[in-house]
Amino acid sequence: MKKITGIPLLDINNHIIGKITYKPIKHSLRQDFIFVANGEKLESGYAAILVTKRNRDPKGTTILCNLEDIKYLNTGDVVSIEPNGNINVLYKKNSVGNVLLVTERCNCSCIMCPQSLVTKEDDKSPFIFKIISLIDNNTQLLGITGGEPTLIGDKLIDIITACKQRLPKTKLIMLTNGIKLENFDYVKKIVMVQHPDLTIDIPLYADTDTEHNNIIGANGFYKTIQGLYNLARFKQKIGIRIVIHKLNYKRLPQLAEFIYHNFPFVFHIAFMQMETMEVAKKNIDILWIDPYDYNEQLEKAVTYLWKRGMNVSIYNAQLCVLPKNLWRYTRKSISSWKNIYLEECGKCDYLENCGGFFASSLELHSQHIEIIKKN
Amino acid sequence: MSYKLLPLRFERFNNDEIFITNEVGEFTFISKDKFEQLIKCTLNPQDETFLNLKAKQILTDTDINPVIEMLATKYRTKKSFLNKFTALHMVVPTLRCNSNCRYCQVSRKDVEAHQFDMDKSTAKKVVDTIFQSPSPMIKIEFQGGEPLLNFKIVKQIIEYSEWRNLFKKKDLEFVICTNLSLMTKDMLKYLKKHHVYISTSLDGPRDLHNKNRPLQATDNSYDILIEKISLCREYLGHDSVSALMTASRFSLERFKEIVDEYISQGFNGMFLRSLNPYGFAKRDRRMLGYTMEEFVENYIEALDYIIDINLKGTYFVESFASLLLTRMLTPFSTGFVDLQSPAGIAISGVIYDYNGNVYVSDEARMLAAMGDNKFLMGNVNKNSYLELFNSEFIRSLIRSACLECLPECSSCAYQSFCGADPVRNYSEQGDIVGHRPTSEICKRNKKIMHYLLDLVKQGNGKIEDVFWSWIIRRPIENNVCITSS
Ligand code: SF4
Ligand code: SF4
Repeated sequence: MKKITGIPLLDINNHIIGKITYKPIKHSLRQDFIFVANGEKLESGYAAILVTKRNRDPKGTTILCNLEDIKYLNTGDVVSIEPNGNINVLYKKNSVGNVLLVTERCNCSCIMCPQSLVTKEDDKSPFIFKIISLIDNNTQLLGITGGEPTLIGDKLIDIITACKQRLPKTKLIMLTNGIKLENFDYVKKIVMVQHPDLTIDIPLYADTDTEHNNIIGANGFYKTIQGLYNLARFKQKIGIRIVIHKLNYKRLPQLAEFIYHNFPFVFHIAFMQMETMEVAKKNIDILWIDPYDYNEQLEKAVTYLWKRGMNVSIYNAQLCVLPKNLWRYTRKSISSWKNIYLEECGKCDYLENCGGFFASSLELHSQHIEIIKKN
Repeated sequence: MSYKLLPLRFERFNNDEIFITNEVGEFTFISKDKFEQLIKCTLNPQDETFLNLKAKQILTDTDINPVIEMLATKYRTKKSFLNKFTALHMVVPTLRCNSNCRYCQVSRKDVEAHQFDMDKSTAKKVVDTIFQSPSPMIKIEFQGGEPLLNFKIVKQIIEYSEWRNLFKKKDLEFVICTNLSLMTKDMLKYLKKHHVYISTSLDGPRDLHNKNRPLQATDNSYDILIEKISLCREYLGHDSVSALMTASRFSLERFKEIVDEYISQGFNGMFLRSLNPYGFAKRDRRMLGYTMEEFVENYIEALDYIIDINLKGTYFVESFASLLLTRMLTPFSTGFVDLQSPAGIAISGVIYDYNGNVYVSDEARMLAAMGDNKFLMGNVNKNSYLELFNSEFIRSLIRSACLECLPECSSCAYQSFCGADPVRNYSEQGDIVGHRPTSEICKRNKKIMHYLLDLVKQGNGKIEDVFWSWIIRRPIENNVCITSS
């Protein structure tokens, strides 16, 4: 998520969560709002106030921010403020890429993990419930992610239940490695929430246990498979995600075959470019392959599945790197706050349709980026 | 490094390659050398072949239990047709017929011989029996004789079934198999109202069709048929009419013409069916019959021709190939009664004769017409549903109709795609278990499966597109028909 640096004008003791507003709010409701002041006299009662100029009469928590940063925040966005004044943007009202990060712990250590993980953390669920209560209830899509969300056990069930109650119109996509879903009773609990529109997306990186386990750094392959079967028994909507890198690109067609024959019940399959952050960045030498160089395998895998009537997509890819016949499978899927384009992209006729890059790709990206002109 | 083999079957496919399948019909081709290494347990775990075999659960060098679990899951899916029990219920409203088909195997009765009509109380009993089937899907198919000659019983069965289904709420479907010559607008209005599909017979161009399927009243049955097909389409919609062809001796060498005829009549598919020559007298067998080799040769030529037509942009399905391909290339089970193990007789499909006699299949009824009641299950007027379907006779019949335990089939590499047919074995060879090396059906299936697998193996992306368009019944979209090879 995006971070904004701010300077607290008075000391803050703990985390503050609130919803951005540019308009003054009735006094009795103010405690959930963060007011963006525009030079007027400050009033009390807000969870916090953001100012762009030093104010001699701060009311409660008042944070000084840069005007450019403030412009990023719109009415309805949800942010948290750390005691040091840093502002984390937790939810953008006008985005479809919002996620609830329910834990930063994980039971895998994937060789291409783009996150930094922790081994110990406090229970985040009160914080998550707070966010859910502040999110606009017309939100189309919300992700549940981690870390590994299932590590919080029954708290996860409570979170899905809260989403169902507070945001009944919002489609949920939960990203999990599926290992804990080996437990049938746990799966049953998740399904019994009867969320009206929940998809569970599970990564699968290879068609054999040895290769998959090597990539995830855990003995998870057959547990994840059992998890997929458990979900299928409840007719739960499932997606499969495949991050592509040097260790698994060669057998993408065989992986597609494996998926079709073993999990024909999945709703969606997504192939995706790797994000080169954190762990992935450290392991870049063993992981990096120019996406252009696995086009052959990707094309075989994608068309294999498509021919069989499966619903298949390519995420995080640049059009100029892909053969034209694969364009129809691409989706713009990088969360807006980390989605960038290169300078030359400005001259490309397909900028609008192109998935672009992860911010982290600025340093390392395909050698085959080339602007495309319409005919 | 050591690994364990899981259940597998194999066959020498050609001079250098071995065709190897797992228990659920996933397959691969490997060289003789690799095969040798495989069985000696000397394959290198880094080897592509090793990984391919491992991914198909043909061997494992790590866990075994979860691998068996995966195979079991797929096995259940492949055999899921068994969960539903009998879905296809064929009913013979009358044995009377106005046709004079050359190869008719039903002891057809004269148009005036009303004693061969099904009566009202038998019809009611038939429906009552049908609705005791646990299958959530019920397909009632009217066969003959010519069902239109006893249309009032057809109507009674349709209406009574619909009434019963108000309570049972099954997925109910009707098909009427007719030569169409007696079809009227009033009948069509009725069939439209009750969503009945039509299955007719078209054997080829005019002269061939007239030769195979003359009507008693005229030699030009073809013109009448074509006219009625368009009438049916006008009332019921284009796709409500399908046609079947049966190849007689006269049809050999003319399969391409037959295909062309189907296309010009606006059909988007056909089923190239071989005749079962054991159903009729020796004299006719010589005149109308042919060897399976002859049929397969013609079939393959026609199949190539049909593939070519598809490659040129016309979506046209050959159903037998499509069925076999579905069994070879998908993880799903197919509902076709003749290609199942355990055999589909009685447990997937059953036939009710005009007098209430119940037989395990249409062929069983023909045997009975020739005086052999071996496969008679009972009679709806005398026997309960359980007596009919849960008898020791049916149980033992099905027990000996599993490819998994039939001699030769049990180790055949094509087993997962094939089916058992004890009635055919019996009529052909006098024994329900049968002798595969001399079985006509085995010959046909094996050759055709080998041919299809060879096409699949060649990996021509365009042909693969055609096959998949058949399997998932979706014409190839030109702009996205991508060839990866
Ligand atoms: S040049 Fe940039 S915008 Fe154009 S296709 Fe390539 S990555 Fe996308
Ligand atoms: S009938 Fe023939 S082809 Fe079919 S499984 Fe038996 S031996 Fe194999």
